[in-house]
Amino acid sequence: MQHRSRGKGLWAIGVAGAALVASLATAPAGTAGAQYGGPPITLTVGLVQDIDTPNVTAGYLVSSYELWNLQYATLTDKAADDFSTIPGLAESWEASDDGLTYTYTLRAGLTWSDNEPLTADDVAWTINTSRDQEWLNHYSVTQNLTATAIDDVTVEITSAVPDPKLPTMDVYILPRHIWEAPSEGDITTYEALDGVGSGPFVLQEWKPGQEWVMTANGTYWGGQPAIDQVVFRVYTEGSTMVAALQDGELDVAHLVPAELFVQLQSEPGIVTVAGAPGGFSELAMNGMAGGLGDGHPALLDINVRHAIAHAIDRDALFDRVALGIGQREDTIGASADPVWTPEIPADQQLNYDPVEAERLLDAGGYLDTNGDGVREMPGGGQPLRLRYAERSESSQGPPLREFITAFLAEVGIATEVSVFDDTQLTDIIARGEYDLFVWGWTPFVDPDPLLSYFTCDQVTTDPDNPLYNDANWCSEEYDALYTEQNQELDRDRRIELVHQMITLFHNEATYVVLYHDADTQAYRTDRFEGWLQQPSGTGPVVFTNSSPTYANLRPIGSEAPTDTTAPGDTAAPGDTTAPGDTTASGGTAPVSTVAPAAPADDDSSTGLIIGILVGLLVVVGGVVLVLRSRSGRDDRE
Amino acid sequence: MSDLAQVSPRAFRWARRRASAAGFWRSLRRDKLALTSLVVLVLFVVLAVVAPWVSNRADFNVINTGDNPVWAKPSGQYLLGTDNYGRSVALQVLWGARVSLFVGVAATVLTIVLGTLVGISAGFFGGWIDAVLMRITDWFLVIPFLPFAIVLASVLGRSLWNIVFVIGITSWPSTARLVRSQVLSLRERLYVDRARALGGGRAHIIGRHILPNVTPLVLASTTLAVPISILTETTLAFLGLGDPTDVSWGGILDQARTAAAVTTNRWWYYLPPGVAIIMVVLAFTIFGRALEAILDPRLRDR
Amino acid sequence: MSARFLLRKVLGAISTLAFVVTVNFFLFRVVNDDPTATMYRGRNMKPEQIASLRQKFNLDGSKWEQYLAYLRQLLRGDLGLSMKGSREVSAVIGEAIWPTLLLVGCSTLLAMLGITLGYRAGWRRGSGFDTSATSFSMLTYAMPDFWIGMVALGLFSVKLGWFPVSGLEDPGSAATGISQLLDQLHHMALPAIVLALAYVGEYMIVARSAMIETLSEDYLQLARAKGLRDAEVRRRHAVPNARLPVVSLSAINFGFVVGGAIAVESLFSWPGIGQLTSLAVKGPDFPVLQGLFLLLSAAVILANLVADLLYSRLDPRAGGR
Repeated sequence: MQHRSRGKGLWAIGVAGAALVASLATAPAGTAGAQYGGPPITLTVGLVQDIDTPNVTAGYLVSSYELWNLQYATLTDKAADDFSTIPGLAESWEASDDGLTYTYTLRAGLTWSDNEPLTADDVAWTINTSRDQEWLNHYSVTQNLTATAIDDVTVEITSAVPDPKLPTMDVYILPRHIWEAPSEGDITTYEALDGVGSGPFVLQEWKPGQEWVMTANGTYWGGQPAIDQVVFRVYTEGSTMVAALQDGELDVAHLVPAELFVQLQSEPGIVTVAGAPGGFSELAMNGMAGGLGDGHPALLDINVRHAIAHAIDRDALFDRVALGIGQREDTIGASADPVWTPEIPADQQLNYDPVEAERLLDAGGYLDTNGDGVREMPGGGQPLRLRYAERSESSQGPPLREFITAFLAEVGIATEVSVFDDTQLTDIIARGEYDLFVWGWTPFVDPDPLLSYFTCDQVTTDPDNPLYNDANWCSEEYDALYTEQNQELDRDRRIELVHQMITLFHNEATYVVLYHDADTQAYRTDRFEGWLQQPSGTGPVVFTNSSPTYANLRPIGSEAPTDTTAPGDTAAPGDTTAPGDTTASGGTAPVSTVAPAAPADDDSSTGLIIGILVGLLVVVGGVVLVLRSRSGRDDRE
Repeated sequence: MSDLAQVSPRAFRWARRRASAAGFWRSLRRDKLALTSLVVLVLFVVLAVVAPWVSNRADFNVINTGDNPVWAKPSGQYLLGTDNYGRSVALQVLWGARVSLFVGVAATVLTIVLGTLVGISAGFFGGWIDAVLMRITDWFLVIPFLPFAIVLASVLGRSLWNIVFVIGITSWPSTARLVRSQVLSLRERLYVDRARALGGGRAHIIGRHILPNVTPLVLASTTLAVPISILTETTLAFLGLGDPTDVSWGGILDQARTAAAVTTNRWWYYLPPGVAIIMVVLAFTIFGRALEAILDPRLRDR
Repeated sequence: MSARFLLRKVLGAISTLAFVVTVNFFLFRVVNDDPTATMYRGRNMKPEQIASLRQKFNLDGSKWEQYLAYLRQLLRGDLGLSMKGSREVSAVIGEAIWPTLLLVGCSTLLAMLGITLGYRAGWRRGSGFDTSATSFSMLTYAMPDFWIGMVALGLFSVKLGWFPVSGLEDPGSAATGISQLLDQLHHMALPAIVLALAYVGEYMIVARSAMIETLSEDYLQLARAKGLRDAEVRRRHAVPNARLPVVSLSAINFGFVVGGAIAVESLFSWPGIGQLTSLAVKGPDFPVLQGLFLLLSAAVILANLVADLLYSRLDPRAGGR
């Protein structure tokens, strides 16, 4: 890591004879703003989760996707308004008669941010290699695909099976000249700090646990963005992040704690967005389909699962834990698009009904025979004492646990709580050594990936090779429906099939969906304009499916750019704009005069002065002390 | 042996103990500050003990607080206000006293038992046993206390007893050193030699002569170790290593931070548990010092 | 100072370090029998990759062979890979160490003002100054450091808005030189003062009792009897002699404070060792915890050694022992 190469500040501190030298962390230098002669125009984004790695073949955290969304353009893009497939790196495409092969034509003159040409060869290499090496974030799309570069701007993609997802090709295209180097065995451990990409911004620097900085990519096919750099600042506490937003240190905050979100709603100059990306939180029970581990046998009884569902007041969870932000839904959300989510008929809903819960348990013979307040298995014996795994990485983990365990206790089901981080929890789920846990999923636009998680194929049978099916549940009926929708090219029929699958899964109650989470975001209106919700009206502004906001933002007061609205809204900029030659177009408004000044705030400047005075006092006090003790020593000798 | 011979020395010992207890009380009564501390301590212990009788744990169970106001300021109805789930802060602090005091005392008992065992063995047996035990003690003494406790707690998992164990296992060495030096000086005293000459076994010497003589010292150091245990529990709980199903003062502070009480100026959530910690820790410290000074007159002038 | 004394102290430090390394290995290998199993959870790993990792940790050998492999790894300065982002633990820790040294260094300097206060209090034992100084130190001792931080944050950052709420510098700050320094000082002021408050009491108490100890020495009584000016006696005779325990406390404390700022750093999101520890605990990211524990222990062991050597240098009586 070369973080400390520039702008070093050296302090010598003498402490009780031991001198130590501290070099201060440096700030990035030499940003794109230099080309305008002014300070770089910086958008600062606050978030509570660092990226896990910039390496797209290894990372899996939501924050990392934001980095890749900005750094790597995709063959086809998604419209900001409605996720519809629009031109990306490819300006057009054609389907073969059998619908299995698509031929994409790339824009002319595409280059990577290091000025190497971006050709069809990069595209074909990415698709074929990700398929062969089963890259984490590519494989679900590319597993059945074969790509061939016909010439520099033409690539032919063939699917082995009918694929309703095509022609959408939203996998990140990587620069072959960079990624070929790490041999196959090492690709997941490659540091990926190269910052070479084709999207609007590329990674400049990552200070783990603190921030990562992305700078504008002048060679982006959509044109030079109006802002020079984006700083993603990592906070350990949502509350400090919000305070920083209110102070003006941040322009936008992602995953604002519900409590503070409610407060921000009434704050002038700040816009709150409760984006609905379709993600949900669920209470999962061990379905034990993989035959591994030691799940509680009572959970195999659907009546016990229904009793658990009836015991929990999900309205209370939604109102008091989620504070009413998000949606109170009964089923999983398989897509960010609500059209895929079915309504559950009233008679099948598993609503709060502790009487019904007790009746189901009584009828099943789960009685408290020894009077300790906890029911036992039919005929006595093993008590209904379930292990409850709480996620340490969720701020809603503790309150949800408190509510759910209390609700279960009311109907005579005891719980034992353990706290795990996501890595450990994944491991425990893979081993089947759990009874209950609360976690969630965030779907993509196409419902296929999320639906695939609950197929029998995805049930973990080897704990060293954990698969996606964390319900540990398997049904032939579901699988048959899954295969059918996966190859159904008629959209309405496919929606119907998906609704059937989700309803089936709901009725099994292996997952009790608590609510659909909102992505709570808040942004300031005093510095930038052009915030885009994806999809419009209901979606979030940042951390969206394809992150169109960033390239669309411009400082308030600057001339509106001519063609840098949502990429792809313009028909084919490739025709008129030679990438790299961004002065001709691409929102190069005279921005040098619009420095992102800190909001005028007398308090903060007084604070600054006082802070500096105190800081000086520290230094002076220390020096005096050292000098005094030295003079004392001189006296003595 | 006649009855008389058996009763007499015991009666003598009791008389001596009564006299020293009376003297102790006289000295303590002169120290107003120590007396106040004792009153504070007794108050907290009584509150912790009677909590289940004067209040109901279920009253601040989240599923029962749905109708309470959230973030209510302190008032007649809610003495210390309510938190983000409408739970009474006063009730949480009251019940938190149980966990904090329990962990403080239990961990200290473990510390003292371990330290005394090691200290007596090392001091009494001497030789290679002493050398080995003291080497180990030195090792533990040097390992940074808090990081070790944190590492151990995250390795063991979060439960009340694990916290007790972690604090005990990381803080026994100083007691061991203290006890050892006391034993070393006792061992050389004449009566021990005499007892040995009279054929008393090791168990007899340790039980009858060494242990009673190190007890006062151990007692004083116990009183001084409790506040350290309480502060350690507070820090561990604040870092999210406390028992997730129970409420302690450090745990309340952790919740207050997570609920953004600091950045939204809900002072009534994070001030009271802190004040409770300060009061108990101060009381234990002041009382412990007074105890130490009375039991060890050499310290009295410091 | 005799060579034998030096040798004994150094050997003692080495044996302690060896103990820490051993505890460190077994403690973590007990909870995490197979470090490779959790290392790439959720990643696609080929069997060959897993095999090569297993070989690296020598997991197929006996515990003893694994231990030797761990020692070899340590000697190369290799602390393994973090479970988050599979970065080198040594790099992760290396980045966090400078902010901590900066913060802890400054707060220690501030806290050492307590030494002067302690000398004065000890010199005038029983005076009003002594009483208030002693009460103050008792009070700060009883406060959890992070609680002082919460109160300070609520009052000075949130209510009065004098200081930023968190971090090392303004986000994405491109400032260099003096403005960068000022920015960092502004961010550091509050956590540094909080830490200083938490530790000032201890320095004061030690300095005070060292002074009281010194005052009982005959020559000081004599000097005062000779009618030398009070301040003169204190500066020329008392303070230099009372310095001994204070110096060794400072050295030892410095080792401890590095690990002791954990809760405060995490409260202020100060990107140092403390915040790293509290994040690794939340994980728990065992490889990082393991590395941190080793580093902090080594720091304390070294600080102790320095304290011992300083002590023997400053006090000839200690050298022979």
